[in-house]
Amino acid sequence: MAVSALLRMTAPMRRDFEIPYHDLGDPDQPPRVALVAGLHGDEINGVFVLSRLANFLGGVDLGERAAQTLLGRVIIIPAVNVLGLNIRSRTWPFDKTDINRMFPGYDAGETSQRIAHAVLQVTRDARYRIDLHSSNLDIEESPQVRLYDPSPGERSTAFLFGLPAVVERPSSSLFTATIGHAWQGLGGENFVIQAGQAGNLHLAYCERLFRALVDFLRRTGTLEGVELSEEDEDSYYFGPQQSLQLISDYAGIFVSNLHPGRWVQAGDVIGYVYHGFDGEIHGEIRTPVAGLLTALRRQPLLCQGDLVGRVHTRR
Amino acid sequence: MPTTAPMRIAHQEEILTLDLPYCEQLAISRTIFGSGGPRVAIVAGIHGDEVEGLYACHRLARWLTELCRTRPEALRGTVELYPGLNPLGLDTLQRWVPIYDADLNRAFPGDDAGLLPQRIAAAAMAHLDGAAMVIDVHASNIYLREIPQVRINQDFAERLVPLARKMNLDVIWVHGAVTVLETTLAHSLNARGTPCLVVEMGVGMRLTPSFTEQLIVGILGLWQELGVLDPSVVIPPPDHHPLLADDTNVHYLNAETSGLFVPAVEHWRAVFEGQVLGNIVSAHDGETLSQIRSPADGILFTLREYPLVYEGSLMARIVATDTVPNGAA
Repeated sequence: MAVSALLRMTAPMRRDFEIPYHDLGDPDQPPRVALVAGLHGDEINGVFVLSRLANFLGGVDLGERAAQTLLGRVIIIPAVNVLGLNIRSRTWPFDKTDINRMFPGYDAGETSQRIAHAVLQVTRDARYRIDLHSSNLDIEESPQVRLYDPSPGERSTAFLFGLPAVVERPSSSLFTATIGHAWQGLGGENFVIQAGQAGNLHLAYCERLFRALVDFLRRTGTLEGVELSEEDEDSYYFGPQQSLQLISDYAGIFVSNLHPGRWVQAGDVIGYVYHGFDGEIHGEIRTPVAGLLTALRRQPLLCQGDLVGRVHTRR
Repeated sequence: MPTTAPMRIAHQEEILTLDLPYCEQLAISRTIFGSGGPRVAIVAGIHGDEVEGLYACHRLARWLTELCRTRPEALRGTVELYPGLNPLGLDTLQRWVPIYDADLNRAFPGDDAGLLPQRIAAAAMAHLDGAAMVIDVHASNIYLREIPQVRINQDFAERLVPLARKMNLDVIWVHGAVTVLETTLAHSLNARGTPCLVVEMGVGMRLTPSFTEQLIVGILGLWQELGVLDPSVVIPPPDHHPLLADDTNVHYLNAETSGLFVPAVEHWRAVFEGQVLGNIVSAHDGETLSQIRSPADGILFTLREYPLVYEGSLMARIVATDTVPNGAA
């Protein structure tokens, strides 16, 4: 087990800093799995899950867990945006650039391009690459695997996580500078996992993700000797045409007592919008279709046209 | 005694309104001079920390008001001014669209049923589509100062460079196609066949009135050529002639280490290969951490304004040339 730095950098006034990562398993093999979180400094679930996973696999690697063996090398970067995490900034704090819009990066370019380049270098040789996210400050996502213009292999491998939803989305010009897009150009199989909401730690989601990652490592032959205590729940695949965004035509204060991850029926009330000044109910948001509520608004302040939730339908 | 209402020279209208959570609306407005004929537009304030374009809109509005008061027939087309596409950002000193932390210039062509930034983008596209010329005025950011220049994606260079040459600016920078820039206003308009030039000048949060006056000479000349202004209108002749910059002659100077960048030269100067352009120094002690030298003979067209640098921060850009244009010392 080794802790390395994918980048060391000076800072104008603070101490020099580095972006550390865990390098587990046989260092003479190419990495089998690379896991990245904290590209956005306000997404904490992934950081926590990957730090716990590194702790667990580190124990396996050191032989502390009888009968469990790490068969492949695993790279774990719990947080790329180290400074952002420390000062609670989603973006790279100095120039407010989104590190996940700086890929493939450039080693002689701007700071966040250098960071992106270094992340890509450390993860490029892995067979499987996984990028963990937890939405933004407004929306909570139920645990799901996201695929963007996937290969047939990725569609099938995505079920090895055992998460309740595998969601395929079309790629767009907005995503061409993300790590996922850069990884696609390198081959292998690549996944984005979403769970929770930025700025928060959702313990139940974290436990679910930890289990999903261990399961994935076991099923891909990276880790052996692990017994999982529970059976998988059902996993559903949702194509690009099976996603419906619930947009509010009302502005005001949004209130909901639902939780993402539950199934809803057509016509169910997702939440209410109250007038902020006089307290009247402005309107109610209903889902026109039945399906899995994979995302729900947690930020109560609502502008006209804001996203309230997302429902994935079976048809 | 009956009174006559003053003649309305320009009118303002809102192209989009959206309810905010509490008792306010977001409204995007434009000011329109004239009617019929060729239609041209100026867009500014896409980034809430860039105000040079707002002042350009003011100066053009003032000039047009005077023209319409004295020679209304000389305005033969329609001029639309969009001084603030990101009014929430401008009013709160935020580069991005507040609430969404979204770069409005990465939201085009937008979606009229999407989130607020996408609706602004869609409304702007719907109203600008089909114009004879759109000029999108930017003011760099808070970190870098730029001399007045036009930036053109190479995909549209053939059509736009001849128009940009008439803008009375100092550099025309034809840059390579970068996918993320496909979501800009300019790329989206040009891709639909509506010509759009991007002007960059000055620095974020500041006004450089001399740059605005220089730009306005170019804009008026271009409008006259497009038939928006009568040929008889007297416009000062352009006195700036652009250098052509592209991937082959632009040099980037990125910081080798972090610290405090102190320039040793002034912006918009002719520099020679090996000349010291600045130093990165330590605030903790008297040490000079790095010395920045020019990699070529040329013109310093970008210079860092905000002194703190991280490794990789851009400090300067030079366009290599052996001629010194008007305006550069």
